[in-house]
Amino acid sequence: MAVSPTCNGTSPSNPLTEEQQVDKLIKELQEKGTNFVLLEKTVQILELQTILRDRTTSNSDFVFNADRLMRLVIEEGLNHLPYSEHNIITPTGFRYDGIQFNRGNCGVSLCRSGEAMEIALRQCCRSIRIGKILIGEEQKVLYARLLPDIVTRRVLLLYPTIGSGTTVCKAIEVLKEARVPDENIYLVSLFLSPSGLQNITRKFPHITVVSSDITSLYPNHFSTKYFGAE
Amino acid sequence: MVSNAGSLAGGGDVEATTRKSAKRSVKIEENPIFSQSSGSSVNEMVNLTDESSSPSEETSPPRAASRTRRRTMSGGRAEHHLLTTKTGKKIYTKGRPPWYDKRGKSLKQSFLIGICGGSASGKTTVAEKIVERLGIPWVTILSMDSFYKVLNKKQIEQANSSDYNFDHPDAFDFELLHKTLDRLRVGKSVEVPVYDFNTHSRDPNPKMMYGADVLIFEGILAFHDKKIRDLMDMKVFVDTDGDLRLARRITRDVSERGRTIDGITDQYFKFVKPSFDLYIAPGMQEADLIVPRGGDNDVAIDMIVQNVMAQLVERGYDSNQNNRDRHDLVREDLPDCLPQNLIILKQTPQVRGLVTFVRDRTTSRDDHIFYSDRLMRILIEEVMNHMPYRDVEVELANGKKAAGKRKNAQICGLPIMRAGECMESALRSVVKDCVIGKILIQTNESTFDPELHYIRLPPHITRYKVIIMDATVTTGSAAMMAIRVLLDHDVKEEDIYVASLLMGQQGAHALAYAFPKVKLITTAMDSHMTENCYLIPGMGNFGDRYYGTGLDLDLDEPFEA
Repeated sequence: MAVSPTCNGTSPSNPLTEEQQVDKLIKELQEKGTNFVLLEKTVQILELQTILRDRTTSNSDFVFNADRLMRLVIEEGLNHLPYSEHNIITPTGFRYDGIQFNRGNCGVSLCRSGEAMEIALRQCCRSIRIGKILIGEEQKVLYARLLPDIVTRRVLLLYPTIGSGTTVCKAIEVLKEARVPDENIYLVSLFLSPSGLQNITRKFPHITVVSSDITSLYPNHFSTKYFGAE
Repeated sequence: MVSNAGSLAGGGDVEATTRKSAKRSVKIEENPIFSQSSGSSVNEMVNLTDESSSPSEETSPPRAASRTRRRTMSGGRAEHHLLTTKTGKKIYTKGRPPWYDKRGKSLKQSFLIGICGGSASGKTTVAEKIVERLGIPWVTILSMDSFYKVLNKKQIEQANSSDYNFDHPDAFDFELLHKTLDRLRVGKSVEVPVYDFNTHSRDPNPKMMYGADVLIFEGILAFHDKKIRDLMDMKVFVDTDGDLRLARRITRDVSERGRTIDGITDQYFKFVKPSFDLYIAPGMQEADLIVPRGGDNDVAIDMIVQNVMAQLVERGYDSNQNNRDRHDLVREDLPDCLPQNLIILKQTPQVRGLVTFVRDRTTSRDDHIFYSDRLMRILIEEVMNHMPYRDVEVELANGKKAAGKRKNAQICGLPIMRAGECMESALRSVVKDCVIGKILIQTNESTFDPELHYIRLPPHITRYKVIIMDATVTTGSAAMMAIRVLLDHDVKEEDIYVASLLMGQQGAHALAYAFPKVKLITTAMDSHMTENCYLIPGMGNFGDRYYGTGLDLDLDEPFEA
């Protein structure tokens, strides 16, 4: 049972495992300027991914554990936002050399599943501003409500599972129309398929991708399980 | 077997007790104090099967059933290690003071008292009375019963047919006994075997014991081996009249084990008495003190106690020692490297930023609560990385299979009141089905020793991985007490985790040294502390800030009208 969770989906004709392919892909993309933030594969992250993948997981367990994983992904994403040195005095009167997070971030959730990540985001940043984009069939933008000063902010684009990546591409286009530079876009997701990753980064090579796993074995029933409705 | 504090409530003036005891030796139906004895001569215990198969007519009064002493294991599992004396003082008969010097060495050697005497002579009673009257909070009692040799097949047959002599020196493993005492004396932990008198083998789970200020070792052949005698600082022989001892055995065995008088006396004259004359009685020559009439002899016990105290003081024992040692910690240099079982959260910008919020005296209460909650969640998530997991395979909604991991442990949170309780919600948001116990440990204002005041644990606590939670670990004394209490509840050392927001390096070293298998997990570490044990730079009184009970008004939000 020494199989890693990502290598089951490879076809036997291909000598590389999916994990190796993903590594190769990431390397290529990094050379083109894409930033990657992948969660460290600790046992507890693997467990969370397992629970979310498992079709037999109950809705309440799914929500609980999805919230946990989303929190961890967002915590990791926040680590890559800028900060500055900040020295403070403790209650006992001693100096401590700490850091302070810089202001000027915002979230944009991609409806509908992206909204599930808003809770986790707010659990980390209590009053962060959140915009919304809704994309309907045939990639039509049905609704987009962004912050007026979004051009000056770093944007966390929230979408939990990314398959083909076409919806996300459309959403990034909306952000670009609002003149958000590529470097300020942080795509935050739980699962990202290799093909989706390729599609997105081919168009927008300078964004930052934050995810817990890049794999073809992503749970494609996220909204159903999380919201309990089709 | 120090469990029954009630049985210690004897005493009073000496003459009265003596008279009472004289009466007791006649009226053997009375429940005698020695029923608490360690039952060191096992001859009658193991031969129980064949004897009891022939039911005796004159035995088994109805009340016997309710207080049977059918002990088949040495040092039973349910043994309590916390003894409360008449005066309400708590004595921990297992464990050692939670302070160590900078090299992680214990600060002083234990005072070892050896107690020897024939079976049913009242050795345990004497030991218990010494413990009570010494009034020293850390005492360990070791019984020779744990060191019976594992028997081979032939010997087991002999034992079953009453032909194996359990009172003979050959029945004991003196080598292991010496090793154990030697380690205990210098404050190291030991695994004391648990002997099963049914199978005549050792239980696979030995009992952990830790050194103490005073170590009492009792057994029928305690003075037999010179190497062991040489370790002892004081040798006490409990000399109870042979008739009385036989009478006690008869009472005990007849009323509690349903044996016949004939069987008992046979046994007595075949093994117990010859062994006593040959091996045990000569121990009297080695003794510093002989206690006639055993546990009832209050004058002799007082003498022993005074003597022990005098010798303890002579070698520098001082009940305020612990307090001073704490201050030594402040000044001493620390070992170069951090302990191996210590895990400090990866210092990512988020963790550092959150720690800054929590430490900052100007952080508003709102922010303090919000950011410390967030930090605690990250901490608990990290703790989960150190739990055991098993490999599984799951099916996705589209029918594909994927390998994965599932946690293989049940989690119990044990917050140390009050600051540790802040972490409960963090634990709940990470472990849906966790159970939460509670423990209250407070520092005694006069001795500076931590004392256990309240504890609630789930049933079957040994099935859980237990996370002891406290906001800060400074000297580690409260966490150490919590660990020891868990060990006393038979939780394995490797099943214990200590999670805290901030640890002092001294405290972490002390914990790591005393309990190398306990995992310590923290979000930040401070290497220095002030004379009165505040960490530098520290985070102030976390509990007061989190719950808003602090007096410091400028930390509070303005009152909203």
